[in-house]
Amino acid sequence: MTNYYDIDDILVEEEYVPVLFHKTANGVTIDPSAETNCAEQGSKVEVPFWLAHELQLRQAVSINLPACFDQKTRLEVQADAAYVDLRSRCPYFYEFGCKLEPLVTDRTLGILLSTAFKIRYKEALTKVYTAAHITASKYLSFLTKEETNLYEAAHLSSTAFKKWKTGGRRLERASILGRKRKDSN
Amino acid sequence: MYGRKGYQLLKDFASGEKGQLKPFNSKLFDETIEECDQNHHLMQSLMRKMQQEDLDVQNSRNADHYGALIHHLSLMRNKRCLMAYVYNRAEIVRDLAWRVGLELLDLPSEIQEKLTSLEKEYFKNHSVTLKSYMGKVGIELNVDMVPPKDPYIKVRILDDIDEGIVLSDKTTNFARHSMHFLKRTDAEPYIARGQMEELTD
Repeated sequence: MTNYYDIDDILVEEEYVPVLFHKTANGVTIDPSAETNCAEQGSKVEVPFWLAHELQLRQAVSINLPACFDQKTRLEVQADAAYVDLRSRCPYFYEFGCKLEPLVTDRTLGILLSTAFKIRYKEALTKVYTAAHITASKYLSFLTKEETNLYEAAHLSSTAFKKWKTGGRRLERASILGRKRKDSN
Repeated sequence: MYGRKGYQLLKDFASGEKGQLKPFNSKLFDETIEECDQNHHLMQSLMRKMQQEDLDVQNSRNADHYGALIHHLSLMRNKRCLMAYVYNRAEIVRDLAWRVGLELLDLPSEIQEKLTSLEKEYFKNHSVTLKSYMGKVGIELNVDMVPPKDPYIKVRILDDIDEGIVLSDKTTNFARHSMHFLKRTDAEPYIARGQMEELTD
């Protein structure tokens, strides 16, 4: 329940999963391919995760693995995990996978997530120290949200360390006020 | 439908820079509430249909039940999005009180524009609570946010604040780009608001 107000948690749960309906649901327009106003038993529909999760708890649907965890991704991760464009597959790759893991029958999802993460985390941290922020921008576009947060945290800590070493200004304008506007005159 | 508006509202919130406010999106907020009403209305009609067929609304599990369930879940989802939006904005407002200043008028005008009147009320009440707590404890808690090294620092004035500011030991007129040697505790709130900057050399 600590995640109720967490924005990232809510955004993760909005990702779509394919489900198979075990019971009919009347009066709802979630199934775009149905002619009538309902989702028929046995129909395959893409619904957001929060809905799929609740319906599976009540045994109305069963969840299948979404496309971002398919064989193509697995092969790419096996080949070279560090440069796979996970953000275009799913911007919340790891969190989404973690939520799906107890609900689907596929046992290899957990291993996929942890191997990909280990290799990419190491790569991300090395990039912070070796590449300038500008040249790494192409690499950054591959990272998922969680990895971007880690990258930014590492970047902040390394800048803070350099600042402490060289001795800079300690009192700063409050970051909450945003970037300084350019001087108008 | 089905939680879409709530999601858009939160995406709008998340698209701003982290820890900073965007103007309160009352259009999307109202559209989300409207979507909740639609879901509620459809759910009620499905339940009425079940009652007309003499089914036990609580326990029977037919197609109408699952339809009503989906509407109910969408409504709860939109509610969660609305609550999270207001909660996270309130967190930033509280942060503003600590980092920038306890007086609403000290906040730069572009920040004040982004707050609704309710959020301004919240800010005022929060400041009042903080001040009364600090008064009772007897310590000013919102100074020295960075551990101090020197009691005096050199500053350059960035904005026009030339009405004489009353400092603890002297009153000076501060012209733009002038440099002064001030007591740290006096300069700190102005630096936090971006009206002065610290000089190190």
